[in-house]
Amino acid sequence: MIRHTLLFLVYELRNTFRNPIWPLFGIVQPVVYLLLFGPLVAGAAGQPISAQLTSFAPGMLVITALFGAIGVGYGMLYELRSGVLERIAVSPAWRPSIVLGRTLRDGVVLMLQSVVVIVIALVMGMRASLPGLAIMVVLIAVTGLFSSGIGYGLALSLRDENGMAQIMQFFALPVMLLSGALLPMTLAPEWMRKVAVFNPMYHPVVAGRALFAGNLTDVSIPIAFAVMLVLATLTVTWSVRSLRRIAG
Amino acid sequence: MIIDAHGLRKTFTTRSRKGTQTVEAVRGVDLEVGKGEIFGVLGPNGAGKTTTIRMLATLITPDAGTATVAGHDLLKAPGAVRRNLGYVSQAGGVEESTTPRAQIIMAAKIHSVPDPAGATADVLARFDLTEIADRPGRTLSGGQKRRVAIALGLVHSPPLLFLDEPTTGLDPQNRANLWDRIRQLRELGTSVLLSTHYLDEADALCDRLVIVDHGLVVAEGTPGALKREVADDVVTLRLDEPDRAAETLKPYARETRVDDDVLRVYVDDGEHTLPTLLRALEEQRLALSSIALDRATLDDVFLAKTGRSLRDTGAAA
Repeated sequence: MIRHTLLFLVYELRNTFRNPIWPLFGIVQPVVYLLLFGPLVAGAAGQPISAQLTSFAPGMLVITALFGAIGVGYGMLYELRSGVLERIAVSPAWRPSIVLGRTLRDGVVLMLQSVVVIVIALVMGMRASLPGLAIMVVLIAVTGLFSSGIGYGLALSLRDENGMAQIMQFFALPVMLLSGALLPMTLAPEWMRKVAVFNPMYHPVVAGRALFAGNLTDVSIPIAFAVMLVLATLTVTWSVRSLRRIAG
Repeated sequence: MIIDAHGLRKTFTTRSRKGTQTVEAVRGVDLEVGKGEIFGVLGPNGAGKTTTIRMLATLITPDAGTATVAGHDLLKAPGAVRRNLGYVSQAGGVEESTTPRAQIIMAAKIHSVPDPAGATADVLARFDLTEIADRPGRTLSGGQKRRVAIALGLVHSPPLLFLDEPTTGLDPQNRANLWDRIRQLRELGTSVLLSTHYLDEADALCDRLVIVDHGLVVAEGTPGALKREVADDVVTLRLDEPDRAAETLKPYARETRVDDDVLRVYVDDGEHTLPTLLRALEEQRLALSSIALDRATLDDVFLAKTGRSLRDTGAAA
């Protein structure tokens, strides 16, 4: 079981890094936000950019995880159409390993993407707690498992590019805005703050701000880990089950 | 017996706003495939060929029926069935961004082949793929991709290989090439179950076959026996009064069949019967616009069993 999962993980990682253009595309959006939106937020708050980035950059990591899900969903649809998934399904591979190997690959890729985004933010002058950064990378990996689970689950149950694009677009923007990734929820009216708590992506953003600021004992950190671990377990289980429906 | 399947059934239900629709894709199929046989499932598109193969390959669970595949119970031990199976789908499952070698080595590892790299090199050589083994999948031609797909299904040397429409979309040269390679499998003792809607393919490759239509087996046997059951030869006539001509020729024929202005007369010794037929038509003053004498084909078998021509249904689908 673990052998098959590792086999798929290594195989998929090798494929991803043979052509690393897609993971690089994945960080274009957060990096553009860092470069072109971060300074605006800093200006509006009347703060220097170096101080502002400490609270702005964590949100960019969460956005990377959020949009990564869309990409992996399309990848899975391609594997479905080309018969790759069917071929693997008629093999002795332990069924869940087919999805788990890919999900773990996404987690690893996301950690590397996060490191690149963090380095760019540091180059832009961000000051942040080093242990906080390290813990955040792990939190983002768990967040990535959650969003990959959604991506694979949607792809395997809808089996339709158009339907998936519609659903992703419908949810992506409100989830992003309500996570406080762009502008913190402290600026939001009371009702919005109440709604935001129910947005899964809100929690890693809040925890990330605490981590970057060096408040490693902040209660938001265990909350974010707990929320993400539970949700990741649910969505990964869902995606494994969706595969089962397709391939016996 | 490498496949022994009885009463396989599968009904698909699709739900939409218009209500629930059910399609009876397979309505009770029996298959008995011997060890080392190349066994064909011939039928028009939508006859239930792919559904049957996907059931036997553990991809979909039958609604009813039992099957033993490669010595294991399909329903109770799907894992054991998968270990003994090679499966090549219509889509093929060749990855675009990865090289054939990397994909085949991976398939070998999943199957716990002792020497994945060695087994891969062997199967690549067998299918003349060594030269293109390290190019990305997307650069391969249709025929090469098809061979990679089969190599992917064979790297673990399974006793049984499923080929779903193996030559669909290939040009004539690549088809002939692939036929030779499938025949070589027989020499190696690999049993093959292949589905096709090409008559010539079933005729050229299969030791035995079933003809399926609307989810049911309508005929079973060797290509030769199936054709002999209909007749040795077919005389195809075009004329103005096919019904009267059919009546006239009936005493000389095993069977006659009228489709629009075409009359098919099934006879056993075409070369010698033809002059007799022509004389009879002459006596009745029936004017011919054309006449042809051919060996009976599997299409004539299909026509005799279903009342339709496979060529027509194939073209329509």
